[in-house]
Amino acid sequence: MGVTGRLVRAGAARPHVLVAAMPGGAAVRLAAEEQLRRRGWPAVLSPADADVLLVAGAPAADIAASVKTTWAAVPAPRVRAIVTSPGEVAAALDAAQAELATGAPQWLPAGDSAVLPGGDGGAASGPGGSHGAHGMASHHDMGEMDTGMPGGLPMAERGEDRDGLKLDRLHVPLGPVLPDWPAGLVVRLVLQGDVVQHAEASAVGLVEGAGSFWTEPWRRAAAGEPVTTGVAARRRAAAHLDSLGRFLAVAGWDDAAAAARALRDDTAGSRPVSSLEPAVRRLAARVTRSRVLAWSTRGAGTLRADVAAADGATSPDWRAGGDVTTRYHRWCRELADLTAVFEDGGPLDPTALEPPRGRLDGAQAPSASLLAVLPRLLEGAEFAAARLIVASLDPDLDELPARVGAGHDH
Amino acid sequence: MITSSPLWSVLVVPVLLAAFTAVAVTADALLAARAAGRRVSPRVLVAPLAEVPRLLAAQRRTTLAPDSLLWRLGLATVPAAGVLAAVVIPFGQVTASRMSVGVVWFNAMEVLTWAGLWMAGWGPNSVLSLVGGYRFVAQGLAYELPLMFALISAAAGAQSLDVAGIASAQGRLWFVVWMPAAFAVYLASVYAFSFLGPFGYPAGRDLAGGVLAELSGPDRLVLQAGRWLLLTAGAAMAVPLFLGGGAGPLLPAWAWSAVKTVAVLILLVWGRRRLPVIRADRYAELAWVVLIPLAIVQALAVALVVLTTGGTP
Repeated sequence: MGVTGRLVRAGAARPHVLVAAMPGGAAVRLAAEEQLRRRGWPAVLSPADADVLLVAGAPAADIAASVKTTWAAVPAPRVRAIVTSPGEVAAALDAAQAELATGAPQWLPAGDSAVLPGGDGGAASGPGGSHGAHGMASHHDMGEMDTGMPGGLPMAERGEDRDGLKLDRLHVPLGPVLPDWPAGLVVRLVLQGDVVQHAEASAVGLVEGAGSFWTEPWRRAAAGEPVTTGVAARRRAAAHLDSLGRFLAVAGWDDAAAAARALRDDTAGSRPVSSLEPAVRRLAARVTRSRVLAWSTRGAGTLRADVAAADGATSPDWRAGGDVTTRYHRWCRELADLTAVFEDGGPLDPTALEPPRGRLDGAQAPSASLLAVLPRLLEGAEFAAARLIVASLDPDLDELPARVGAGHDH
Repeated sequence: MITSSPLWSVLVVPVLLAAFTAVAVTADALLAARAAGRRVSPRVLVAPLAEVPRLLAAQRRTTLAPDSLLWRLGLATVPAAGVLAAVVIPFGQVTASRMSVGVVWFNAMEVLTWAGLWMAGWGPNSVLSLVGGYRFVAQGLAYELPLMFALISAAAGAQSLDVAGIASAQGRLWFVVWMPAAFAVYLASVYAFSFLGPFGYPAGRDLAGGVLAELSGPDRLVLQAGRWLLLTAGAAMAVPLFLGGGAGPLLPAWAWSAVKTVAVLILLVWGRRRLPVIRADRYAELAWVVLIPLAIVQALAVALVVLTTGGTP
C-alpha cells in the first residue's frame, strides 16, 4: 500500500461529494444535502473536486449520458452511488466512504474526461460537454469532428458582438448536472466573452407521473385528502428556503446560503416553531438588508408584468414583474409571513395559500411559463447575471408533464 | 532598527507564511461549521489540513487539448508570488530581504498573479476556467489602481519605499489612524488579489469554481494554497504598512508582529463570510468612480501633512 495508500485513507476521512440531482429526485437531494451538512463533508461544485458522485434520483434514459460524462470527469480514487430513496442516503454515503478508505477504488485512466468519443453529442451534454472536463466546459457542442484541429475540435467561430466587434463565439451547455441548478434544466448558451448572445432552455430526464415534491400537499388536497394549512405552509417555506439557498450560493454568499439550507431542513423536519420562527425571520431580514447583494442583482432579468398578463403566466414571480432583487426580496417577505401559520391546523385553502411557484390549475404549470420566459431574460446578460436570473426564477421542472420536456428539446 | 538577516532566512519565510496560513484556514473552517449549524469539534479544526493528503493522493486529471505548460506555469506562479511578496515583510526586528524599494517589490509580486491566474484559466481549454481567468483580469483593472494609491499613501507618509523604513516611521502615530481610507482600500485589495471572499469572482460558485473548476489533486492544492498564502502575505504586509510593525509594549517585537498579523488575518477571514461576491463589472464602476478619487485624496492629504510638518502629524 505504501505512502499513497496511507494518504488515500487519510483523505477518505472527509470525502467530497458531487450531488447530481435528477428530476423527481428532490427528496433524495434534500436528504443528501442534509447528510453532507451534518457530516461536514463538502458538497463540491465540479467533478474535478469530487471523490463521490451521488446521483439523487433514478436517471431517465435521456439524462443518463450526462451522468456518464460527469462520472468520467471525476478523478480517481472515486466512488459512484445512485440513490432513489431518501432513506438510503446515509447508508450509501457510509458505503462510499468505506470503499474510498480501502485505497483500492478505481485507479483508472478514465479520470480523463476526454475518453468519451462522440458521447452524447446530440443530447444535452451537461457537465462534460463533448470535451473539456465537465459542466459547461465545452467550446462547441457539435460532438467530435475529425477536422484536423487540436484534439479533433473545431475552432470557435466568430461573430459580431453587441458593440460590433468580431469576437469568438462559444457554445456552452449549462446543466443538467450542475450544482445550485434546477434538476433537469439545460440551457444552451452562445457566449461571446462572458456575454450571453443566445439562449435556449429545455428540460431533460423528466420522469413520467412523478409529480413535484414541492407541490405535494396541494396535489393531495386536490385529490380529496385532508391537508392542513400548517403542513402546506411548511412545505412552501421549505421551497422558498431551498430556492433562496441556491440563489445565495450562486451569488457567492456561502454563509447565508448554508444558513438558508439548514433552516430548510429544519422547516421540513420537526424543529419547534418557537425557535424556528425567529431564526427564519432573522435570515430573511439579514438577506433583505444586504445592500451589496441588492447592488449586485439590481436590473438583472427584469420581467414586465404587462407582458406576463398577455402570456397567461401562472407564476407569481412572472405576474408581479420586477428584477432579480425583487424576486428574492419577495421570498424573504413571504417567509416571514409563512412562519406565522406553521401551526395552523385548519384545512388547506389552495386559493389563499398557493403552491410555492404558483397555482397548478392553470392552462400550463407555473414552471412551464418560467422556462418559456428564460431565454428572453438571459440574452444580453453577462454570465454571472445569467446564473443569478436562473436561480431567482428557480423553475421546478418536476411540475412539467414528461412529454413537455421532450417537446422543448429541439 | 530593523536589519536584514542572513541569506538562509529566506527559507524561513515560506515556513512562517504557511504557519500563519494554517491559522487562517482553521479559523475559516470554524466559521464555516458555525454557519452550517454544526458543532465545533477537533475534527472540524483539522479538516482543512486533512485536505492536503487527500489532494496529494488524488489523480491529476487533464482535459482535452490543454495548454499544459501555460496551465502548470500559471498554477505555480500563484503560491510563488505569495511567498516572494512576503520576503520583504519585516517580522519583528528582522526581515529576510531589506530592499530600498520593498513596497514596489511587494506590488510587483502581487501583480504576478494576474499572469498566473490568466494562464491557469487559459490552460485547460475549458470555458469555465477561461471565464474565471478573465474575470480576474477584469477585477485587476478595478482593484490595482486603488491599491497602488493606498501603498503610495503609506510610502509618502514615511517618505520611503523601504517596508522596514515605513514600519519605523510610525513611532508616534500608526498610519492606520491618519490614513483610514488607504487602510480600508488596502484590505479590500488583499481580498481581491487572493480572489477570496467578496472578490472570489474568478473562482465563483456560478462558474462551478472558475479557475478551480478543472483542477484536481496536487494542481488544486497548489492553487488553493496559493490564494491563502497571498491572503496571509497581504495581512502580514498590513502590519508594517499601517499598524506600526513590531512596535508595542511589554512583548518583544516579533511577538507583536505575530499578534498583529493574526489579528488582521482573523478580521479578513471573518469579513469574507459577511458579504456576497461582488461582480467585477459592478466593482469596476465603484473602483473608478469612488475608490480611486478617494485613494488619491488620501495620498494628497498625506503629502500635504508631510510637506507642512516634515513628518507625521
